[in-house]
Amino acid sequence: MKGHKREIISTEPASLKSPVVMSLALHLLIVGIALAGWSWTSPVSEPEPRQISARLVSPEPRPSPVVDDQDQRDRDQERRQQQERERQEEEAERRRQQEQARQEAERQAQAEAQARQRQQEEQQRQQAQAREREQQQAREQEAARQRAEAEAKERERQRAEQERRQQEEAQRKAEEEKRRQEERRKQEEAERKRQEEAARQEAERRRQEAERRLREQQLEALADESDRQREAEARRQQEAAAARAREAQMLSESERYQSLIRERLSQAWYPPSSATEDMTARIQITLLPTGELVNARLVSSSGNTAFDNSALGAVRSLSRYPVPSDRNTFERYFRQFTIEFNPQRLR
Amino acid sequence: MNAHNAYRQGFSFAAVLTALLVSMLVASTARAELLIRITEGADSAIPIAVVPFAESGAMPAGDKVSSIVQADLTMSGEFRPLEPTRMLSLPSQRSEVYFRDWRMLGQRYVLVGQLTRSGERIEARYELFDVNREERILGETAGASANNVRTLAHHISDRVYEAITGDPGVFSTKLAYVTLSRTGGETLYRLQVSDLDGKRARVRLESKEPILSPAWSPDGKQLAYVSFETGKPVVFTHELASGERKKVADFPGLNSAPAWSPDGKSLLLTLSKDGNAEIYRLEIASGNLTRLTNHWAIDTEGAWDHAGRGIFFTSDRSGGPQIYYMERLGAEPRRITFGSRYNARARPDAKGEYVYYVHQRNRAFHIARINLKNGEETVITRTESDESPSVSPNGRMLIYATQQNGTSVLTVVSANGGAAYSLPAADGDVREPAWGPIVR
Repeated sequence: MKGHKREIISTEPASLKSPVVMSLALHLLIVGIALAGWSWTSPVSEPEPRQISARLVSPEPRPSPVVDDQDQRDRDQERRQQQERERQEEEAERRRQQEQARQEAERQAQAEAQARQRQQEEQQRQQAQAREREQQQAREQEAARQRAEAEAKERERQRAEQERRQQEEAQRKAEEEKRRQEERRKQEEAERKRQEEAARQEAERRRQEAERRLREQQLEALADESDRQREAEARRQQEAAAARAREAQMLSESERYQSLIRERLSQAWYPPSSATEDMTARIQITLLPTGELVNARLVSSSGNTAFDNSALGAVRSLSRYPVPSDRNTFERYFRQFTIEFNPQRLR
Repeated sequence: MNAHNAYRQGFSFAAVLTALLVSMLVASTARAELLIRITEGADSAIPIAVVPFAESGAMPAGDKVSSIVQADLTMSGEFRPLEPTRMLSLPSQRSEVYFRDWRMLGQRYVLVGQLTRSGERIEARYELFDVNREERILGETAGASANNVRTLAHHISDRVYEAITGDPGVFSTKLAYVTLSRTGGETLYRLQVSDLDGKRARVRLESKEPILSPAWSPDGKQLAYVSFETGKPVVFTHELASGERKKVADFPGLNSAPAWSPDGKSLLLTLSKDGNAEIYRLEIASGNLTRLTNHWAIDTEGAWDHAGRGIFFTSDRSGGPQIYYMERLGAEPRRITFGSRYNARARPDAKGEYVYYVHQRNRAFHIARINLKNGEETVITRTESDESPSVSPNGRMLIYATQQNGTSVLTVVSANGGAAYSLPAADGDVREPAWGPIVR
């Protein structure tokens, strides 16, 4: 960009001020020649690449854009320096022209040498190129062969590689499969384990639940049990109290009927005149709940027949014994009992 | 948990223990069969139905056998015979006895019988049934001459009595007593012997002087008594069958209160021949006399105990008359009555259980008895001015003399004082009864 703009500026003054342009062109020419001379001289020992030398063959060296690299900060100064330089350059020109003539001569000699050298070199080069071509051909054949070989190898390699890849692929696939299977197995295993774990956890949970429930049940049962026991105890006590009351009632009832029976038997008993106070006869009697006598048996004799008979007669004389209507009391006391006849107050 | 288990175990142990105790208690109460003790008998006499005996053949006039039996049993005080008019049937043998009927009538025993005349004899066939046990407890035959139906009847009474009471009957025994009749200005004393019911009385001795203290010989064949016929008290023995009399004690002073020894060989006598009334033993056969008491006070009315080893007698050595007991002849007498200041004329029973005597209380004289075992004294007569107790040979009855409407009568009571039966009064006073022995 910058280069293009500068190029425009430089063209405008060239049309307006031809001496300046002339000068400039001259200068540029000089500089270019100087630079070309410098560039010829310095890298002599160093062989130039072929392409470069081939380009140098062209007659018109192209201006170097190096000028543009100069500083343009103070154009006035530059112009003064330019004038100086122009004067110096005129001097230099003259010296240069001399130099140039000399250098032209030299260059001609050199060119001639160079041409010869170049011819030799060309020959050498062509020979070298021929050799090079031969070698190149051989190399190429060799290369083709090697390439074919390499290609064959490559094909082989590729085939092998293919095979290997296939194998690898197969193996990979197999491994993959295996891995998948393994994975699946692992997954299944994991799943199984997970399920097992879940089952175990579930079982554990259930067990704990069951345990908890059992414990609760046990606790409840204990509570129930203690409740039941308390209730049972209360019931037992109630029953015991009731039983005692019943017993007492039965006893009192029993006693009431005992005394009734005693009274009746006392009235019915006629102790014989032969009775003495040490005589005792015992008679076991069996009654029906109606009070009727079922059986009377002398279980202990007084030793006095009349006494025993009087007792038996008394026992049998009651057509109906006064017995409690309460069946339990009857069964307990009056189903079967013993009557003892033992006169304590003989008349 | 452990604590709970321990608690439960402890609890169950306690429960088991409780159950055990309860069951033991129940079992013990269940085992202990009810025992009812009857310590007192009926106040009333035994109901007995003496069914009029069936008769075949001519029966002598007068009381029927069954009537005599009925009266005998009534007199004992121990029986309460059913009026024949209340009987539903008049069975004379077992097949005709319906126990239910007799039980309905409240009878305990039923006596049925048949009398058959065969020539001069009357045969009795009689059966006694226990109504409640529905058993025949007696079935016998007995006979007597036609003019001795009373003897037959008393015999049946004795058999019935014994079958029921276990004690021998005394209805065939005799009574001896003294009657006093005043006809015009004369007083006549008669020693009489009769049946227990006063029937068939026969005068054995008649005297214008007092006759006292008749006593039966153990065999029932003789009487001993005090007669003033000679002007002073003399002890005679009198053979009833022959009427033969013997003067066995005619000592200076007092000769009184004869009592036969159980063996019939000696008499206890009260004699004052030695200056003071003392008790002697007279051996009848030999006439030997042995003094048994020796005290400055009066000792009289000796009586052998039931075993014939010791004697009871009356003595006022304590100031008033009291009963003493000399357990063996020669032993120191022991006073046995303390209930009042007058206790005299001891009559021991045949069993050695009681001694009967005249007992003064509140200015009245009663018959009392003392239990020799425990010293318990019981007044058994309700009458006043009672005297001369005499115990039946079976110890169940007592006869004594008492005043009734200004005259002296004999009364039979059961020994416990339950029943009283006054003998039909002869004309005039009746005194000094003596109950004869059972003659087998």
